[in-house]
Amino acid sequence: MGKILCATRGGEASHRTQDAVIALAQEQDDSIVFLYVLDTDFLGYTERAVRPDVVATEMEHMGEFLLVMACERAEKQGVKATFRVKRGQLADALKETAVEQDVTLVALGRPAGEESRFQLSGLEKLAADITEEIGIEARVI
Amino acid sequence: MSQSFTVDMINNCRLLARGRRWFLLLVLLLGATLALPTFGVSACPERDRRACPEHSRRAQPKGKPLSTVSVERPMSLSSRLLDPQGQPVRGAKVTVRQGRSNEPIAIAESQHDGTFVVDLPPREFPSPLVIEIDRTHFQPQAIELETEDMMHLNAGESLRLPDVELSRRITPGFWVATLTFVGILAIIALEKLHNTMAALLGVAVVLGTSFVGGAINHNLFIFDFERALEYVNFDVIFLVMGMMIVIGVIEETGIFQWMAYQAYRLSGGRAWLLVIILMIITAIASALLDNVTTMLLMTPITIQIALAIGINPLSLLLPEVLASNVGGISTLIGTPTNILIGSYANLTFNDFLRNLTPGVLLAMIVLITYVILYYRRQLLTQGNGLSEALLERLKDSGRITQPQKLAKAGIVFAVMLVFFVIGERIHLVPAVTAIIGAVVMLLWVAPDIEEMLKVVDWTTLMFFIALFIVVGAIQEVGLISIIADSIARLVGDSLPATILVLIWSAAFLSGIIANIPFTAAMLPVVGFLTSTVSGASNQVLFYGLSVGSAMGGNSTLIGASANLVTAGIAERAGYRITYVEFIKVGLPATILTVAAGVAWMFIRF
Repeated sequence: MGKILCATRGGEASHRTQDAVIALAQEQDDSIVFLYVLDTDFLGYTERAVRPDVVATEMEHMGEFLLVMACERAEKQGVKATFRVKRGQLADALKETAVEQDVTLVALGRPAGEESRFQLSGLEKLAADITEEIGIEARVI
Repeated sequence: MSQSFTVDMINNCRLLARGRRWFLLLVLLLGATLALPTFGVSACPERDRRACPEHSRRAQPKGKPLSTVSVERPMSLSSRLLDPQGQPVRGAKVTVRQGRSNEPIAIAESQHDGTFVVDLPPREFPSPLVIEIDRTHFQPQAIELETEDMMHLNAGESLRLPDVELSRRITPGFWVATLTFVGILAIIALEKLHNTMAALLGVAVVLGTSFVGGAINHNLFIFDFERALEYVNFDVIFLVMGMMIVIGVIEETGIFQWMAYQAYRLSGGRAWLLVIILMIITAIASALLDNVTTMLLMTPITIQIALAIGINPLSLLLPEVLASNVGGISTLIGTPTNILIGSYANLTFNDFLRNLTPGVLLAMIVLITYVILYYRRQLLTQGNGLSEALLERLKDSGRITQPQKLAKAGIVFAVMLVFFVIGERIHLVPAVTAIIGAVVMLLWVAPDIEEMLKVVDWTTLMFFIALFIVVGAIQEVGLISIIADSIARLVGDSLPATILVLIWSAAFLSGIIANIPFTAAMLPVVGFLTSTVSGASNQVLFYGLSVGSAMGGNSTLIGASANLVTAGIAERAGYRITYVEFIKVGLPATILTVAAGVAWMFIRF
């Protein structure tokens, strides 16, 4: 029984990715680890008093909420799922969690459209980079 | 015994010597005081010597007895230099020459209030005197004294000339300062650098140009360091700093999240009622604390609540952020723009409450109506319920995490509000109230110096300091004068036209330029218009600037920091707010709320 790592958020695009990963996990009888990566870089561009640590804590709660929703979606379809929240950059968080959780596959969601934060080429490069660096298969699904 | 006797003798001698020294010193001081007038040195400052009784007496020549002192009165020329907006011009070099002579007779410099006094040698002048006035960024002027004036001077009388208005001159320094300011606005709008970094870069450019460039070409000189610092409004800095500490203590308690959760409970899952309650809570929180902090802390839980009732989170987030920008202007401390305006125009906490809060209430009614209509389909959608696990998480997110701290902080904040209201009666400025409140918070509520250092956002304070300096630079070189002149020519002496032009242009520009630098630059312009347009002395134009600059921030995504931080969090939850999407809902909201604000201005003033 393998383990699939999937970085996810909320919204329609993430739901599509989650559904694809759940389907794959069902096929292969794998479990899923959902990952939410939290970064607060955007706070650097505001000129008002912000407490990055306080905001980060709130965003962590939000991330956990989104991940619990994803886990419930998986469990409704008979797939076991757990979640992790990490702070920092996506690539580093994926590699670190993949090693920690001893996953067999890192799944990256295909961009939904023009509004997506990532480009397909960028995701494919990230997948290749993950595979090369930590020796775990990574693919865009 | 002889040793102690010797020591006693020495001590006594010392005392005696010390006493003699003091006595001698006293005598010298007394003598100096009596002798000073004899040598013609006046106790009066340079400028006021005309008014001094000593002024009419001249130093006694050597060898002549006091009873035969002949008195010749020194003469002076004085006047005041003003810019085209009637503001004093300081630091101008005033040279007096006789006729076409290259040799100056006397030189002086204009002071802070624009006045200058040139002391002339006590002799007759056969040819007319010419007063040359030279100041960077102004056209040099030469004033030849008229015959009548010369007669008075030659009769030994001092002259007080009429005020002199200097015309502005476009110099290389003008372009440096102007382009620097525009560049900062662009950098901030495009998020190429951190706001503070952009402002500090501006300071480096204007001061670097002044000191290095000014040594090569004096027309590059903008201002020196001392003058630059005079533009920094420390009232604003301390008020912002104090409120940062207060908010920093309160935000840890979970009160914002608790209020959002209570809104969810009170609404009973009805989305239309939920959005109204959330908008009201956000507006009030923004008025009393800070709208950026409010949105930062309410956005994550609002997203969870939206998912709990099965609607798109943007249906709640966008109305909230619109309400935060509107609600924030109802008090002095609600937005940084109000703090800037209040400090510049001496508007108190009560002034904002009396003159803007009713207008904000009117604008909120309009905004809520608009939002319900705009999102009616989404708000009427009934979603699936959440699982118990998720409901528990939501409840957990919405609880007060530090009730004791909240109670204490609440008491301190309530007392602060009282002092904000009554402060003007006891000459207590808001900045001092904020600092005292902050200190009490730290001593009683969160006594941790490390904590204090964390909650004060020094980069924001540096941003304000740097911004004041850059705006000061464009004031020095005359850009503000050009803008003020242009607006004055456009609106003439019509107060209604001025209000309309000011509010709508501020609303439009706030959508594309960061509203804090925009407001800081507009303050001297509005100050000029207030002093020149009939009927504007009730400060209506400053309130108009507040309405336009804050409500205008609702028109685009980059119009206000609250918009950007909300979008930042929403995107990280997978719900991206695009520029176009924001304009679709924000621009009509801006037009409606600004119209409500304008209507209130006309009713109130």
